[in-house]
Amino acid sequence: MTALLAYIPFLDPINFFHDWWYLLLLPLSFGLSVIYKAMRMPKLVRFWREVTVMTVQIVVGMIALAIGVSLFVQVVIPMIPVMP
Amino acid sequence: MAASRPNRPERIFSPSAAIFAWLWPGLGYITLGERRRGFLVMFGLLFLFVCGLLIGGLDCVDKKNDKLWFLAQGFCGPIAFVADFANQKIVQTVPMDFTPSAAGQANRARYEQGDPEMLRQLGRVGLGRVNNIGTLYIALAGLMNLVVILDVLYYTPRPGPERRRSEVKR
Repeated sequence: MTALLAYIPFLDPINFFHDWWYLLLLPLSFGLSVIYKAMRMPKLVRFWREVTVMTVQIVVGMIALAIGVSLFVQVVIPMIPVMP
Repeated sequence: MAASRPNRPERIFSPSAAIFAWLWPGLGYITLGERRRGFLVMFGLLFLFVCGLLIGGLDCVDKKNDKLWFLAQGFCGPIAFVADFANQKIVQTVPMDFTPSAAGQANRARYEQGDPEMLRQLGRVGLGRVNNIGTLYIALAGLMNLVVILDVLYYTPRPGPERRRSEVKR
């Protein structure tokens, strides 16, 4: 809380997100989706719906990757025999 | 066989639009007559840029210490250079040299004596995940703007009511 009170926007890093860094994926994927869809859609009809769908796709993809990597690290790697 | 191929719209080489796209995000499309597309790209790029600065502070854009990242961030246009200039003038005023050299030892002594100016400036230097993610936001904004610049450089007219064909030079 003290870190948030001492925060000066645009000047100081927002240290509150050190522990919650993964939440920052949401605005990142939203921003990327806006730019990508604005560039790629031939007609900009139903633009925000398309942006929402792509944002969800990115977030779900990242969660799936995280699950896959953690399964690999915690399940597959311990099964590999240790070299003598 | 060849008759079944649909007619593809002709590409337009427009270096001036590419320069405008680098000068300010979205301006390339606006100069080509695609106002809505331009404003949407502008919104997305400035959203990523501003969020990056809010998360990581000014230290996210650092040409001196993060040269490779700045290669990508520089594609955001002059705003990235302005942010770097502000970073060098406001945040990076304290030397970060703490090596065993004479200058490094002097800095260490200042730090250990609790020099308030040095402690205040050190607090503004982004570290850890927050700095990484802020830097990543702005670098991705720059790389997306590079794609936008290439798209307007070799511009393919899109069908749609928002584009005024008369404004596009052929």
